[in-house]
Amino acid sequence: MSKDDAMPKDQTKDFRQDRRQWLKASATVLGATLLPLPAVAAEPTQAPAATAPPKGASAAAAKSAIRFFTPAQHAFVDELAETIIPADDHSGGAKAAKVADYIDQALAESFDDAQKALWRDGLRLVDFMSRHYNGKSFVEATPEDRVAVLTVLSNNDHMTDLPEVRFFVELKRLTVRAYYTSKIGIHDELEYKGNRINQEFVGCDDQGGASS
Amino acid sequence: MAESDADLTKTYDAIVIGSGAAGGMASHVLTSHGLKVLLLEAGKKLPIEKELRSMEWPYDNAYRGMLPPDQHSLTFNEYTIRNPPYGPGFEKAKHLKSYVGSSDYVKNIVVDERENPFTGTNYAWVRARCLGGKTNIWGRLALRLSDYDFKAKDRDGFGENWPISYSDIAPYYDKVDLYLGITGVKENLPYLPDSLFQRPTKLNCAEVTLKDSLAKMGRVLTQYRAGVTTDGLKHNKYRSRCYGRGACERKGGCDIHAAFDSPTGLIYPAADTGNLTIRTDAVVREITVDPQTGKATGAHFVDNQTLKDYSVKAKVVVLAASTLESARLLLLSKSRLHPNGLANSSGHVGHNFCEHIMGPGIAGRAKNLVGKPPTLDDGRPGGFYLTRFRNLAEKNPNFIRGYGFEGGSGSTMFPRGTDTHGFGAAFKEEVRKNQGAFIGMGAFGEVLARYENYVDLDPAVKDKWGIPALRFHYKFGDNEHRMAKDMKETAQEMFEAAGFEILHVSDRVLTEGWSIHELGTARMGSDPKTSVLNQFQQSHDVKNLFVVDGSAFVNASCQNPTWTIMSLCWRSCDYLAEELKRGNL
Repeated sequence: MSKDDAMPKDQTKDFRQDRRQWLKASATVLGATLLPLPAVAAEPTQAPAATAPPKGASAAAAKSAIRFFTPAQHAFVDELAETIIPADDHSGGAKAAKVADYIDQALAESFDDAQKALWRDGLRLVDFMSRHYNGKSFVEATPEDRVAVLTVLSNNDHMTDLPEVRFFVELKRLTVRAYYTSKIGIHDELEYKGNRINQEFVGCDDQGGASS
Repeated sequence: MAESDADLTKTYDAIVIGSGAAGGMASHVLTSHGLKVLLLEAGKKLPIEKELRSMEWPYDNAYRGMLPPDQHSLTFNEYTIRNPPYGPGFEKAKHLKSYVGSSDYVKNIVVDERENPFTGTNYAWVRARCLGGKTNIWGRLALRLSDYDFKAKDRDGFGENWPISYSDIAPYYDKVDLYLGITGVKENLPYLPDSLFQRPTKLNCAEVTLKDSLAKMGRVLTQYRAGVTTDGLKHNKYRSRCYGRGACERKGGCDIHAAFDSPTGLIYPAADTGNLTIRTDAVVREITVDPQTGKATGAHFVDNQTLKDYSVKAKVVVLAASTLESARLLLLSKSRLHPNGLANSSGHVGHNFCEHIMGPGIAGRAKNLVGKPPTLDDGRPGGFYLTRFRNLAEKNPNFIRGYGFEGGSGSTMFPRGTDTHGFGAAFKEEVRKNQGAFIGMGAFGEVLARYENYVDLDPAVKDKWGIPALRFHYKFGDNEHRMAKDMKETAQEMFEAAGFEILHVSDRVLTEGWSIHELGTARMGSDPKTSVLNQFQQSHDVKNLFVVDGSAFVNASCQNPTWTIMSLCWRSCDYLAEELKRGNL
């Protein structure tokens, strides 16, 4: 599959013409990390310290509490993840699968300071991009405008020297990890058939034969 | 068999050091001959079913089956750019695990890399210190060697022949098949002899397409020959038959023990004879010798938890600590009569270190399966094995020896296509529609056993127990790199012939050690000047010392070694018991 085939089919805006210019100006964009932006303004200057891994019954309770993201950031990550894996006719998307909760837990407990910094910087940078392109924060932008912003990053996902690109790769990695290990991902989306007792092994003859 | 109650004062008939495939088999065979055996294991006896939880859904696990955040498993890049023992500057987790230790289900089975340092050249050294060792999580592919391997020197002039032929070991392969159970299909291949197979698994549709296409090229694809009992074993109450539950691919073991592991397959039955004493948490630091006769007298060990020292005695010492740990222990056991280390008058201990090179492989898509309704594909212990085809009838101009491919196809619990470019509705649909259509395979090739590939003791670095660390001097050579290039080319040619769309093909070689098939550091041979052990894995120098693990291999072949380790060990332990009765040890 070529990269262009994977372009979201429903997009109405195409920023590809603009992306070279924009990526050139990336150093300026980095300067924007200092701006207080509404969507992230509530972020504490210091993240809560990593806590001990939850054990037993407390694990579920710990999972439901937001601990790394501010409420505004959590809502932002919810929309980002839903843009990566949206609900469709077949099954629910990342929001329904509570992907943002998983990412929040992973970051809250992470010992990797570089990873935490990447998420804070990444959220600022993507929001800045949304304002640059759409004149609106990412959360306020239409689904089409959100797709257009992430498409710039996705189409340049080899340029990992840029923090916003690294952030996109990490956002996609964790969204995919969380979604396809969720109940919705495994059972509704993929309709996974395994992880049960089978008296007999299943092979091609049981699967409708080798020819199409 | 309570470990703390182990009687450490009496003189045992035999001490077995290590409880993996080799140590488990030695315990089984020696106790069945009526010998009183003390089994020493460096790690704990884990509540293994609670560790493995083979049917736990990811969403029922606090970390979705991944490692808890205070732990980190090493990546390919970290192996190549970081030097063990991973000290300051590498603090992204409290505990470091080898690349295998990447799930919540194996985190307590593999060792902490920082507690178990090693030095020298890059090596992905995977170690499991617990009762059963790596057999708790092994890949299960169970293959025989043939005279194409035992007499490889006769075919291409390289290295040494083994001091045995296939006919010597064949009856012991049969015993292992029947005692432990193996699934597969008979193919009548001279270079890959059949086992006494139980019920086979089935190939799925993309695998059948590849098999049929390969048959036209004279190449053989067969069902995964797994060390898994598919019909059950009437003589073993600890193991269930395989119920094809799936999730075998998540680098965990099998919590109903349909897949062979040393504790349920060998050690518990051996303990039931009343002849086996087990002492876990026993980190052996030295094999002791009689200063007059030079014969082995027992072992010194340090308790894993309390760090207290102990000394145990036996008529015979059976070393089964794994290829590299056994070599380390021989080198550590220096004395006046054995100044180069025990059993090392030849100077070959630690040398001729070999294994399997891996990394080159291919991933593709069977286009006729895209968009088909979801199928059950991972309810099997494995997919397929594509047997060796190089240097059999014809000589390859670029390299000697051979390689085979392990592969599989179809749906898995975590879908294979998530590295698809892009995101959004199209990405989601792409992953869903393609999930059953993926097919992939990776090669395992013979790394030549060369004297210049070796391990010795690091003069400065010590492990958590104060025992000198192993130092690696080990690199793949030209033959391996030329073979790796060929692996990629043939993989591509075979997928193209089968009509698959190729998504990814690579000849990138993974870090040395990645196959976890390290072999050959105390090789067998007829000449005591160029080998460490005789054909019964008995030290040429020390008659009452046997080394029964993968270190005895003369070459690596390209077949996975576990079944051969156990068959050789059974043969040697039969001999040991006879010789002990005759008073020859």
